[in-house]
Amino acid sequence: MRKYAYLWKNLLALGLALLFVIPASLDFLAMRRDEPIVRTDALSQVRQLSDYAPGLTGTALDTEIYFFDSGRPGGVFLVLGGTHPNESAASLAAIAFIENIRVQTGKVLVIPRTNRSAFSHTSPLDGMQDFFAITLDDGSQRVFRVGNRLTNPLDQWPDLPYYRGASGRELRTTESVEMRNVDRLYPGSLQGTLTDQVCAGIKNLIDQEQVNLVMDMHEGSPEFRYLNYTMYHERAKNVAADMAFEMQLAGLEMNIELSGPASLGLSHRSLGDNTNALVTLMETYNPSMGPLHGKMDDELVIDGKEPLYRQAHLDGHIPFKIPEEGIPLDVRVARHLFCLDSLKTAYNYSFPENPIEFTGFSDYEALAQAGLGALLQPVANTP
Amino acid sequence: MKKITALLLTLAMLIPAAALAQAGEAPDFEMNTSMENPVFHIGQVDKTLFEGPFLVTSFGQSADAAMLEALMKRARVTDYTFDSLATVEDLEGIKTVIIAVGASTKGLGSAGISEADETARAEAMVEAIKEKGLAVIICHLGGGTRRGALSDKYTMMVLELASYALVVEDANFDGMFTKYAEEHELPLTFIYAIANGVAVFTELFAK
Repeated sequence: MRKYAYLWKNLLALGLALLFVIPASLDFLAMRRDEPIVRTDALSQVRQLSDYAPGLTGTALDTEIYFFDSGRPGGVFLVLGGTHPNESAASLAAIAFIENIRVQTGKVLVIPRTNRSAFSHTSPLDGMQDFFAITLDDGSQRVFRVGNRLTNPLDQWPDLPYYRGASGRELRTTESVEMRNVDRLYPGSLQGTLTDQVCAGIKNLIDQEQVNLVMDMHEGSPEFRYLNYTMYHERAKNVAADMAFEMQLAGLEMNIELSGPASLGLSHRSLGDNTNALVTLMETYNPSMGPLHGKMDDELVIDGKEPLYRQAHLDGHIPFKIPEEGIPLDVRVARHLFCLDSLKTAYNYSFPENPIEFTGFSDYEALAQAGLGALLQPVANTP
Repeated sequence: MKKITALLLTLAMLIPAAALAQAGEAPDFEMNTSMENPVFHIGQVDKTLFEGPFLVTSFGQSADAAMLEALMKRARVTDYTFDSLATVEDLEGIKTVIIAVGASTKGLGSAGISEADETARAEAMVEAIKEKGLAVIICHLGGGTRRGALSDKYTMMVLELASYALVVEDANFDGMFTKYAEEHELPLTFIYAIANGVAVFTELFAK
């Protein structure tokens, strides 16, 4: 027996190690599983971004594109969600859009996980939670990852001390991590890093599918100046202005800001400069993104409530009007969805000969009241 | 040495705090307008002053000019030309100039002009408008975020010319517009949001 003592000791050590390794591995792998998206009978097809950027095939950055084709000629609208996964309302709005849209004229394309890799990790040392759950009206739950704004370094590494994007934007020193940021590398390069190839794939998608209109959905921290703003490429001026009008007429604050010439690599600047599409980008408030937030929990992520930011606003440090009750995901998602509807309406004012028609999102109050509990479909309902 | 280091560190920590305090440009204040009552008038505007053809332009190249053009369209004003970089020559044949004030570095950059170029253009326009005796409407549509030294410079240039002002009230957090309107008997309309200007302009330009 004594002869095998070393073996027992080793097995014990191995067992103890497995006790930690197995749960950690399960936790790690769970972050790599995409949340299910309910496919309705309105969906025409799902393609992969690698169809437009072959280098992405088999990588963690290849991502689904949902096609809704009315079969009637008209304009083509591309909606980007999940460019920065931690901007949760933007990601969820894309999913809710897919699960509720009915297209009557033209085509609508939706990429709900534009940077799919970035969903698989969170910001280190920020005390982020990995997941949050939305309870649906039927009592079931859907769980979503919080994610990060950058590609997971496990999928793209290292960050080079210098990287020049196809737009001419130069990423160096402290900005070099941005070479994992989809919204810094447009129009992208098929010969570049995987993140760069995602950008090139989206540019190719716009070109090949003759996309007319693009909305890149985002959120920003409370300190960010452009909350409740839509940035627009100069060619999209009239569409952006009319969209803001539509939203204001519905009682929502919406402002517009022209894309700066120095915003190289950002979608509104460099997709606008390098494609024929009218490109816009919208921002909503997200208190979990700023450095002043307290504990990362459902109250912060789902309810959008952070008393510290409310106090900072009352003290005059944060110009953005932060209500005491916070701005919950339900409201922010409704705002994004209504913005998509308003943008479509505005586009149709300018291009009545090439319209885009879809339904499901024309009543902001109804969207906000319904909330994600009603907008997200039970996963069991997938046809 | 340690004391000096500690002092420098403390100062370094205070600088961002001071910057943050500066950012609070538009604190909450008691507004006359609200979502329920979106229009508030000060003084009586003489509608007969404003005849077409109209020139719609920008002083400061902010996106508010795009919103002003959308406002003109929604108010069904057809007798206008829009040029955010209009020059003195564009005033030929114009009877009323409608100016969106508010500076944007992005807008200036996109237009490929410097702050000095824009100021020179604005000053030349002001002189020509005075010379020709044209009617002017000032539109400050950007709210509190469109205040600041440069924006205010363009605002004051146009306020001095204007016969009427349309202002998104959020910009009046320090009472600047109210004070000017009262002191100079300038008819002024506060609106809660830009979209509320449609009714105001429709009424103003109704034949």
